[in-house]
Amino acid sequence: MRTHKIFPLLLLTGLLLPLTGCGDGKNADGKIEIKFINGFTGGDGQYMTKIVKGFNASQKKYKLVQSQEKDHYTKFKSGKYDLVVIHEASLRTYQSDQMIQPVTDYMKQAKIKEDDFLTSGVDSAKVGNKMYALPLDIHPLTMFYNKNLVKSMPKTYADLAQLNEQLQKKDDHLYAFGLPSSGLTPFYLTVAAAQNDIQLERDGYLDFAQPAYADALMKYHDMVFVDQISPKKLGLDGEFQSFMKTASNNANQTAVSFTGPWYYSAVKDKYKDQLGIGPMPLLFKSKATTGNAHTIAVSSSVQDQEVKKGISSFFNYLYTPKHLANWAESGQTPSHKETLKLISEDPSRYALAAENQKQLKDYVRAPRVYQFDEQMRYMNEVVFAKLTSDRNLTKDALMTELKKATQHAQEIAQSK
Amino acid sequence: MYLTRRSRWFGLLFLLPFLICFVLFWLLPLVYGIWMSLHDFRLSFGENGFVGLSNYRDLLFNETVHQRLFLATLTNTLWFMLYSVPLLVICSLLLALLIRHLPRRFKTFFRTIFFMSYSISVTAVSAIYLWLFATNGGFINRLLLDLHFINSPVNWTSDQPFAWVVIVIATVWWTVGFNMLLFLNALEEVDNTLYEAASLDGASPWQQFLRITLPTIRPITFFVLITTLIASFNLYGQTLLITRGGPEQSTTSLIMGINTTVFGQNQLGMGAAMALLMGFIMMIITGMQFFVSYMATKKEPVLAKSVTQKKTTSSATDITLKSDAEKERKIT
Amino acid sequence: MRHKKTTTILLLIVASLLSIIFLLPLVWMILTSFKTLSDSLESASLLPKSWTLENYRLILNASSESPLIRWLLNTTIVTVLGTLLVLFVDVLAAYALARLQIPGRKIILAIVVIALTIPGIVTLFPAFYLFREAELLDSYVPLIVPYAAGTLGVFLIYNFLRTFPKDLEEAAYLDGANQWQVLTKVILPTLRPIITTLGIVTFLAIYNDFLWPSLVTNEAEMKTMTLGIATLVQGSNFVNPAAMMASTVIATLPALLLFIWANRYFVKGITHSGLK
Repeated sequence: MRTHKIFPLLLLTGLLLPLTGCGDGKNADGKIEIKFINGFTGGDGQYMTKIVKGFNASQKKYKLVQSQEKDHYTKFKSGKYDLVVIHEASLRTYQSDQMIQPVTDYMKQAKIKEDDFLTSGVDSAKVGNKMYALPLDIHPLTMFYNKNLVKSMPKTYADLAQLNEQLQKKDDHLYAFGLPSSGLTPFYLTVAAAQNDIQLERDGYLDFAQPAYADALMKYHDMVFVDQISPKKLGLDGEFQSFMKTASNNANQTAVSFTGPWYYSAVKDKYKDQLGIGPMPLLFKSKATTGNAHTIAVSSSVQDQEVKKGISSFFNYLYTPKHLANWAESGQTPSHKETLKLISEDPSRYALAAENQKQLKDYVRAPRVYQFDEQMRYMNEVVFAKLTSDRNLTKDALMTELKKATQHAQEIAQSK
Repeated sequence: MYLTRRSRWFGLLFLLPFLICFVLFWLLPLVYGIWMSLHDFRLSFGENGFVGLSNYRDLLFNETVHQRLFLATLTNTLWFMLYSVPLLVICSLLLALLIRHLPRRFKTFFRTIFFMSYSISVTAVSAIYLWLFATNGGFINRLLLDLHFINSPVNWTSDQPFAWVVIVIATVWWTVGFNMLLFLNALEEVDNTLYEAASLDGASPWQQFLRITLPTIRPITFFVLITTLIASFNLYGQTLLITRGGPEQSTTSLIMGINTTVFGQNQLGMGAAMALLMGFIMMIITGMQFFVSYMATKKEPVLAKSVTQKKTTSSATDITLKSDAEKERKIT
Repeated sequence: MRHKKTTTILLLIVASLLSIIFLLPLVWMILTSFKTLSDSLESASLLPKSWTLENYRLILNASSESPLIRWLLNTTIVTVLGTLLVLFVDVLAAYALARLQIPGRKIILAIVVIALTIPGIVTLFPAFYLFREAELLDSYVPLIVPYAAGTLGVFLIYNFLRTFPKDLEEAAYLDGANQWQVLTKVILPTLRPIITTLGIVTFLAIYNDFLWPSLVTNEAEMKTMTLGIATLVQGSNFVNPAAMMASTVIATLPALLLFIWANRYFVKGITHSGLK
């Protein structure tokens, strides 16, 4: 579709300067470089780095060059990368924006079969009937709790309310858990839908303007302002930040955190033996957990046969249980069956992965719509903040906001 | 004349390096940007058909997701200008006046201190202020609690109007020194005998300031005002890193909006149109400033004229030449 | 005269108080970088409870994801080469426009002035796309060369030269010098104040630029310090203020010292050039 190459060519001809470096994809020691970008800037990053290093040490011909960026989607769109980590909710977007290619050939070369993965894993990496990526993990909303403050693991909202009462008696800067104002809010938004059996997806866009959904979200509002089980206005990543604090007149501390597994190493560092892990409690009507899944996709720009072979051998290396187990150690739950088997043999080392594996039966995947993140943006940045900061928010006012958010999502869906 | 026809053509060689850079990195992108803005141009796969002025229509006249984003972020940016520009101009002038009236041996010391923070990059400034004003356990909250100015921690970065307060404080702290230096330089050029004569005539310090100081520094005030306005319009780093555009997108600046359009929504053509409109608005704002200043210089009082003519021949035209120091100014 | 003395003392007190406010963020930054993690999270006092170098060890060890030294090096390369390039290109161009009566001079001057009034933002995104298509992202080229397209420098130097008498140059020509010799031997020395100012202003602009480098740089290895710090703010250090501040200390200290040293030249430059 790229009809006009004139402008870039003009720039290129102008830049026939000696400044342009080597462009054949080989580095100084004659290895073929494969550029890999991911967004693992949390505690999980070091484990992926370990895998990459292990692969590079095992290879004579190929070298995987890894970039870890908070904003890795932006970087992937602007740079030239061969391998990229994509969330399952966004996979379809990248497929329809022609940025990734099917991985069936790579799987054949690396001797990986669909059967090697859990169905939820295969599902996370498929667009239509085709594998457009390899499933890396599924990361459901996870519960961490501080055993110093929590005697028995909370399973329902009532448990949390009771816990909150006890904590408040002790110190009014202690709360049961915290709702963030933004950040991980898509998880909270989807879990409210899943635990109430609400379908957000409709004709390719997210329909938030459903009365039942408004009721569900109002419950978050009430958690903060009626039950006062969470501090208000915790800000970005507040669910995690407040879990790490120590209660004082300058800081609110929470005893439980519903957050992403990538914080596992951070919370483990802080709480050690006193860290409790559990499945997402029942906040609403039915048991369910949501989240997202990481997949590894190949950029559509990869054409070179040698690079393709290199990618296949990386896949082959990665999907060897003892290598992928590193990823499980970070707290993420792989959907690779053999690796899961290895994990279950050593549940203490892979505590979180083992725990989350049990959650997978209740896992409801995020809707697959075009530009999921953009469709969610208004909900994530505006609506959820209102829920946790505006005491006087009414259901009607919320409904107006939800209509706005839906309108926004609809227009994004149409821009495809 | 010492220049022959041949040597005049030879002279072009001197111009060549600049001309190449200018054409490749300024003219070409400008034309390409205009071309992009007339197309459905996607970041990921390029041009997707000619759409004429429809991007501009969607931004200006149709109620679309892009228009909402554009207008909301434009409004946020204009609010920021309203909060920050007066402060940046007035505070820098006050600082300059303060330093001017200090004994000579202290001048350099204080000037350096007030100017120092200008050497810190916007990202480092943001890192510092982000943690200084952290809501849950931050230093400023701790300080205010201990001094009993507040009873409970303030949500500095996730509540309005505090979010703007933090952004404006960070910006003033960061850039006020540069403006101060420009003012100070102009102030030092005022002839001291003028003040002496005025005070012999019984003029109060305030009258001296109005009659002598202010007219002298008018050209530089104008320059400071324009560059500060433009720099504030380019707000990006502080809100990206300190407030992340929040709370509720209220500090999402225009450049952040363009970034979302290009990288989040994949719409490079639309983003190019937004950038061009933004440039256009900036040109209108500076144009208006020039007009106002031109009208003002016409009515300039006689005394002031005699003072200004002494040292500088600065008038609106002269400033034109310099105004684009904007490009060399920061706040991005 | 007593009245005057009290005023001076009062002003000194005000200036000192303001200085404390101005210095507080920097002092806090430096002290926090020596705190332990829990100490820094509580921020109970300005001074660390116990001093530690752990943060510096931590950030200097994590070199693969955040190569601070490399970033410092990149910043140095980019700002120094960029400034030199801008000065070189601009002086040549301004000289040609002001003195050499080259063909098409008036048109070029007009374009230069028009370009001055058009804000930089309009060219940023297309320029980024061009560099991407030319596969030049993550190289020094887009980080350095595009700054030479700015017309401010040409304009300032042109104006400076225009008001400068030609006698010396004509004498040099009579002695048989060519244009290049006139430029280097006669013109350059007279341009010193304007070049100093332009140099410092350009240096600061490149050093501080954030949006443009963030568009054209993806790899950690190619980041400038300004970009690198942004990555840290957004990334994993988000939970560790002490390590974050240690990074900012390393990022800001060299520039700060350079700045304190150079600020008198800057003041002089402003006084002697058109920037007033």
